[in-house]
Amino acid sequence: MHQHFELVGRLRVWQNIMLGREPRKGMLVDVDRARSRVAELAERNGLAIDPDALVEELPIGVQQRVELMRELEREPSVLLLDEPTAALAPAEIATLFATVVQLAKRGTAILVVTHKLQEVIDYTNRVSVMRHGKIVARYLTTQTSTDEIARAMVGGELPQVAQRETTGTQRCLSVRDLTAGTDTTTVSDLSFEVSAGEIVGIAGVEGNGQTALADAIAGMIPYTGAIELDGSAEALKRRENVGIVPQDRHHEGLVLNWSIVENAILGRQNLPGIRKGALTDWNAARVDAEAIIERFDVRAASPDVPVRTLSGGNQQKLLVGRALLGDPRFVLAYQPTRGIDVGAAALVQSRLIEARNRGCAILLISFELDEILALADRVLVMFRGKITGSFSGAEIDRGKIGRLMAGIT
Amino acid sequence: MRAVLRALAGPAGALVLAFVLAAVAMLIAGVSPLDGFGALFQGSLGGRRPIAETLVQTTALLFPALGVSLAFRAGLFNIGAEGQLLIGGLLAGAVGAHFAGPGWLVIPLLLLLGMVGGGIWGGIAGWLRARFNASEIISTLMLNFIALSLAGYLVAGPLKSPLASGAETAPLLTNGWLPAFPTLGSLSFGDTRLTISILIAIATAMVLSFVFTRTVFGYELRAAGEAPEAARRSGINMQRMTLIALALSGAVAGLGGAAIVTGVLHRFNTQLSPGYGYTAIAVALVGDLNPLWVCVAAFGFGILEAGGLAMQANAGVPKDAIHVIEGLIVLVLAARRYFATRATGAPV
Repeated sequence: MHQHFELVGRLRVWQNIMLGREPRKGMLVDVDRARSRVAELAERNGLAIDPDALVEELPIGVQQRVELMRELEREPSVLLLDEPTAALAPAEIATLFATVVQLAKRGTAILVVTHKLQEVIDYTNRVSVMRHGKIVARYLTTQTSTDEIARAMVGGELPQVAQRETTGTQRCLSVRDLTAGTDTTTVSDLSFEVSAGEIVGIAGVEGNGQTALADAIAGMIPYTGAIELDGSAEALKRRENVGIVPQDRHHEGLVLNWSIVENAILGRQNLPGIRKGALTDWNAARVDAEAIIERFDVRAASPDVPVRTLSGGNQQKLLVGRALLGDPRFVLAYQPTRGIDVGAAALVQSRLIEARNRGCAILLISFELDEILALADRVLVMFRGKITGSFSGAEIDRGKIGRLMAGIT
Repeated sequence: MRAVLRALAGPAGALVLAFVLAAVAMLIAGVSPLDGFGALFQGSLGGRRPIAETLVQTTALLFPALGVSLAFRAGLFNIGAEGQLLIGGLLAGAVGAHFAGPGWLVIPLLLLLGMVGGGIWGGIAGWLRARFNASEIISTLMLNFIALSLAGYLVAGPLKSPLASGAETAPLLTNGWLPAFPTLGSLSFGDTRLTISILIAIATAMVLSFVFTRTVFGYELRAAGEAPEAARRSGINMQRMTLIALALSGAVAGLGGAAIVTGVLHRFNTQLSPGYGYTAIAVALVGDLNPLWVCVAAFGFGILEAGGLAMQANAGVPKDAIHVIEGLIVLVLAARRYFATRATGAPV
């Protein structure tokens, strides 16, 4: 089962499940047999599903179920799951693993690739830790802990995440009555504020309007309502004192064939320090690149190597480092530690907290509830394009937030 | 140093392989490759006149190849250099036939008109792409046919010279002629077709190289070509960039059309280009879209174009064989890119 769904959205559930293995009646697909096969699978595995639903209209959690059933249809003796919970809310995760554990009990060998350590502890029998393409540690789940696994992943002690300090409460970013986005990924009538020196976390399952929110703030899509930085909509458009960490580093954040130096000024190419008349000040660009490399511990042979040659973690550190250059007033961080190892993630998180301590307003959008809980001063829960809950300080409650993320009130 | 070697290895390797394949083809056709290539190089590099003719062909290819390179660097497949070249030449020829004045005024004006003509022609495709997301591959290609028909109609009708027997504009007044290439020591080019347009072409390449590497505009143009989504998110107005890049690309090709009118033909007719705008795509690719390497590639193709006629006359190898060689070079180069992509997962 792949991390990213391999489903045909315009086909029905049974068509997706039987795709490539359709029972035949002469030249035709034997629809009745196919549908009854799907119904039988659903019943045997305790997965509730409507075989005739259009896949693209299903919620993410149910689509995941379709993915799983497609694999189960082959009656596998070995089942490989690649990051199966990346797009699921806590309740959906529990449902998925209940099924998986049942399968294991009935004799299927199951291999789960995941970076969520709590899932490892909760649902597995044995753990292998991979680092740089090698297995570096093996444990029995009952005899290990998330801490021990994390240390093995990093290859030493976890870097300490920076301490947060008390900061002011001057309003910095304000979003009022924001409506933006198209069809399934809209946000509507969103209002919130981020103060200087505050990290506001948007908790939510992927696909609940986070991308529309981020794109509207970045000025990438049209919107109605107001988005203002220090009371001005223009300041955000000029990108002065604003840092943005886009969600997809490969497509949205970096030019992979370019060097670190060239990438260090992407999005900043027109700022006064970089643009001199019509020319690019490459010396300034190099100074910036070296500053990022040093502060974010970007491992590269030189600032002139193409970023394609860097590891994902180093690319991500470059991306966050660029967004934090020059002490911005506001940073939008969309999945800032996506797909990187624990050590790099801790470094990125530390730098974000340090920026907050210096008075930067940070809007953190993450699908990892753990990351939100670790970083945010205030948590807003997003569900179907609306903010359904707001928690700060001692009110922050993992259970309540998790239920709101799944749409349970 | 390594970068230089690597840049050489690609196109040079392709060139050698293409010549080997061409030699095989000649053997099959019953011609000694030695005779064939002998005639080719004798006719392109064997003396003052052949060299001058090679440089004339180099220039004719260099302008549209630079234009194509600019568009390709912006991620836009401008295959309409042929049409942009024609319209540029047409505008320069149409005005030049009637405009008298001192050379220092007329020549820059005609060259500028060439850029305007080509710029408009490229700009149309740019506007269609920016406004309606119409594929520039289709529109630039179609605009080639429109340009050819339009130019053919105009020189056969409204712009036809009453004195000329064929379809062409009236000749330029001599003050619109580009000066001959300067005398180098004892080498004079006064009796050849070589003019200073080769110097203008090389200067254009140097300007483009500077724009690509040093200016913010060049940076944004390359970003748009390398990673459109990242470019858009960095604040680049992609519609505007598309329009500007295709217009500029057309302007450079159009400048080439005007250079042929003012430097070689001294009038406009539709025989201005035997397909320079199409060969230019190959030249741009062989030159790795790098303006300075494109100059080298254009010289290589100039040798083939100029030497091809001599080869036909003296070795009995049809001139079409040249186009086979050109095609083979592109093919080998494309294959090399493909294999490099497969080997490293990264396009070269």
